[in-house]
Amino acid sequence: MPKAVQKPAAVRAPLLPLPLIEKLLSAAMSRGAEFGEVYVERATTTAVSLDEGKVRSAQVGAVTGVGVRAIRGAQVGYAYSDDLDEAALLRTAQTAALIAEGNRAPGPVSLSRTPLPTYYQVKQPLSGIDVARKIELVREANAAARAHDRRIKQVMAGYADQTREILVANTLGHLAEDRQDLCRLGVSCVAFGKGGERRTGFYGGGGRVDFRFFEDFSPAQVGREAARQAIATLGAIPAPAGPQTVVLAPGWSGILLHEAVGHGLEADFIRKGTSLFAGKLGEKVASELVTVIDDGTVAGGRGSLNVDDEGNPGERKVLIEKGVLKGYLYDHLNAKLTGQRSTGSGRRQSFRHAPMPRMTNTYLAPGDQTPEEILRGVPKGLYCRQFGGGQVDISNGNFVFEISEAYLIEEGEITRPVKGAMLIGVGPEALKNVSAVGSDVSLDPGLGTCGKDGQTVPVGVGLPTVRIDNVTVGGTGA
Amino acid sequence: MQAQVTPARRRNEREASLLDICEQLVKLASKAGASDSEAYAERTRESSVKVRDGNVEELQQATSKGVGLRVFTAGRLGFAYGTDFSKDGLRGLAESAVSLAKGAAKDQFNELPRGRQLGRGPEGEYDPAIEDIDPAWKLRAAHAAERAAAQVDARVRKFDATGAGDFLARSAIASSRGASGESRASYAYLYCSPVAEADGQLQTASWADTRRRLSELQAPDEVGRIAARRAARMLGARKVKTQKAAIIFEPQQAGGFLAGLSGAVNGDLVHKKSSFLAKLLGKRIASQQVTLVDDATLAGGLGTRPFDGEGVVSQRTVVIDRGVLESFLYDTYTARKAGARSTGNAVRGWSSLPHIGTSNFVLDRGGVSAEEIVRGTKRGLLVTAMLGSGANVVTGEYSRGANGLWIEDGQIAHAVQEVTVSGSLLDLLQAIDAVGNDLDLRSSTASPTLRIAEAVISGS
Repeated sequence: MPKAVQKPAAVRAPLLPLPLIEKLLSAAMSRGAEFGEVYVERATTTAVSLDEGKVRSAQVGAVTGVGVRAIRGAQVGYAYSDDLDEAALLRTAQTAALIAEGNRAPGPVSLSRTPLPTYYQVKQPLSGIDVARKIELVREANAAARAHDRRIKQVMAGYADQTREILVANTLGHLAEDRQDLCRLGVSCVAFGKGGERRTGFYGGGGRVDFRFFEDFSPAQVGREAARQAIATLGAIPAPAGPQTVVLAPGWSGILLHEAVGHGLEADFIRKGTSLFAGKLGEKVASELVTVIDDGTVAGGRGSLNVDDEGNPGERKVLIEKGVLKGYLYDHLNAKLTGQRSTGSGRRQSFRHAPMPRMTNTYLAPGDQTPEEILRGVPKGLYCRQFGGGQVDISNGNFVFEISEAYLIEEGEITRPVKGAMLIGVGPEALKNVSAVGSDVSLDPGLGTCGKDGQTVPVGVGLPTVRIDNVTVGGTGA
Repeated sequence: MQAQVTPARRRNEREASLLDICEQLVKLASKAGASDSEAYAERTRESSVKVRDGNVEELQQATSKGVGLRVFTAGRLGFAYGTDFSKDGLRGLAESAVSLAKGAAKDQFNELPRGRQLGRGPEGEYDPAIEDIDPAWKLRAAHAAERAAAQVDARVRKFDATGAGDFLARSAIASSRGASGESRASYAYLYCSPVAEADGQLQTASWADTRRRLSELQAPDEVGRIAARRAARMLGARKVKTQKAAIIFEPQQAGGFLAGLSGAVNGDLVHKKSSFLAKLLGKRIASQQVTLVDDATLAGGLGTRPFDGEGVVSQRTVVIDRGVLESFLYDTYTARKAGARSTGNAVRGWSSLPHIGTSNFVLDRGGVSAEEIVRGTKRGLLVTAMLGSGANVVTGEYSRGANGLWIEDGQIAHAVQEVTVSGSLLDLLQAIDAVGNDLDLRSSTASPTLRIAEAVISGS
């Protein structure tokens, strides 16, 4: 994965004056907390949507706010405000401080800027791009989807971007600032077949990228791919139910890793002992073919972070190496409590949320087989080409993920499309059943949003072509 | 530790009322060139505690506000939102909404509701007792729930989280077509998520209660005990063979099934022929035991409100009457497009445009108890938790991961995990052959226990 050079953060006016931030930190510590943190966020969001051939709406929103956290031991006080006057912010800091119960006069906090890497270089903030150009994207995508096949009767296209500026300062003296631009174009289609049959397709992408990204990742290509999926699955037969061999196409299929292992390696579940991966460091938890990496440093990646929401730089972490569990994902609090170091995994949805350990871009390292070799080796099975969402139960490890485009594999060949398939498994078992890994690693095009405990954050996932044996496929067919 | 939370600052009387803010914005929008406009604003207060292993883990408290402005200029729609209520902030919002509208397409159906459609009150589902909750009460309640859970079963020793919280909201709407309303809402909640452990297997379950009135909230020790029993009974869970068998959804899971189905009666999807129910109005789509309503007027309902997200007065809509599909759900725009009437189903927050959604989406209770339904089941799966989103309302397919309890000859035999339940939504609706009497409105989408005579279970 490409890495960018380190450079000092640009000097510009901070989101909140530094003397005020220092006052807030002192106030957060005023009752004897051990750690205080101020998080300032200014987010500008633009969205356009197209439905039934018409640009339905264009919208913009601007939200600024401050979150203050005080920590004492394992106890967290959190408060936030969208009112930025000094008195309101001091009240907010004092509310967070209430987690501790003392009357310690805090020492002064003096802040110094942390130099940051740059894993995304968005020259012009996306919020500054003329909305007419954003509208053009959804128009082109719509036209291309409809032109692909006359059976495409419904097309919805949406583009959204966010320019999010953050400042994090804490009582360890760290001060970090970052601008995190993010965009996504998405198209969904409905194809109408014979006898009232309806099939859907969805495609899109984006990331922490310049608006010029859409010159290569063209809206027309996005529209055509969404249409292709809907048309390709017309006439699909019910997915066969029960255990079988599956081959997963590369890219968004990485959601398998995200659900089957990623969440279970987040340090809050590990510390509480509620994840089935707790206490298994150094143990074999997957097939030798499996090396899983969580990487916040992918250039322009949707989940990439120069700095996490606690001021720690984004990192590349090997979680599982050749099947052996190597590490967990730590935020500040869970690292502190277990004598570990933050892995730059502390993330939050907005200033209204306290941070917790989360994934960034999670992918499987490539193997050495070509996708063709992998397919040829399967006498009977299911080829999964496009995927919907997924979910996991951290404790028992049960995960599901939905397959939106799948085909039977017969004698090593992809044959008929099937509908209504989903995969279900238990994380470590599924990973032990990985029997072939392709050389074609690829990250998803920039689609993913991960939800945990009521908070959503953008993430990337990736998987090469992979074969897994004995996976339970939910379906209704024989 | 002693409770140290102080109540959030009471609403500052000097602050402009939300309705004033909305009315100012409507004027500013008209000045900026909007032919019609509507402003929706909210102020909320939320406060929560989390405990674990007898200690306070997290205290959170905040107030929050925001306003969204929808404008039409010559039939084109623009929308802007923000948190800055200053005069300059509001003027900026009005100007950007109007300028954004220029990029949208002209659409003859873009209109605001008016006249008799509009609702003004009553005040809303608001309990002053929630505003005045003693902060220490939440900590006591959470501790009590956790303690009770820890006493149920020796195998329940770990906790993911136990907590309590409350939420207060005021909202207001004003429009150039005469909408003018304010409402208040509140709720309080309590939850417990213990983890049971035996023979290297971990099983989490959780139980939560959310109520509009503090006095109706389930007792903390009961919440804890139910949660712990639900976790412990899942130990030893295993796959079953792939087969067809009866499916019994517990009330929460039946509610989830309804939530998945709700998209199918969304008037927008119906109009675009993108719902499997689009052509079935007036037809028998479900078993005769199924009557389903969307009722925004239900006393104590978590989805109850005086008017919807564009000011249309709340109503009760019968969606399925004894198996027959009677109505779809509409907001103003889609209703005009489809030649129907708004059913008052526009939902929104201040940062989103109104769109069609349910209020209290409730399946009528039947006459039998959940125990009788289980006893009368020869072979099947009692579903107690689910994974994934399940229903595809465009294609009419349903497939979802399930955990639960296996039933043989009316008795619970063992716990089940790692299976899926699949079928066509129409087949599943038709196959509902028992509806329980255990309806409880602890969620805005609610159902009693449901049994489906037969569906496909995929396992080993």
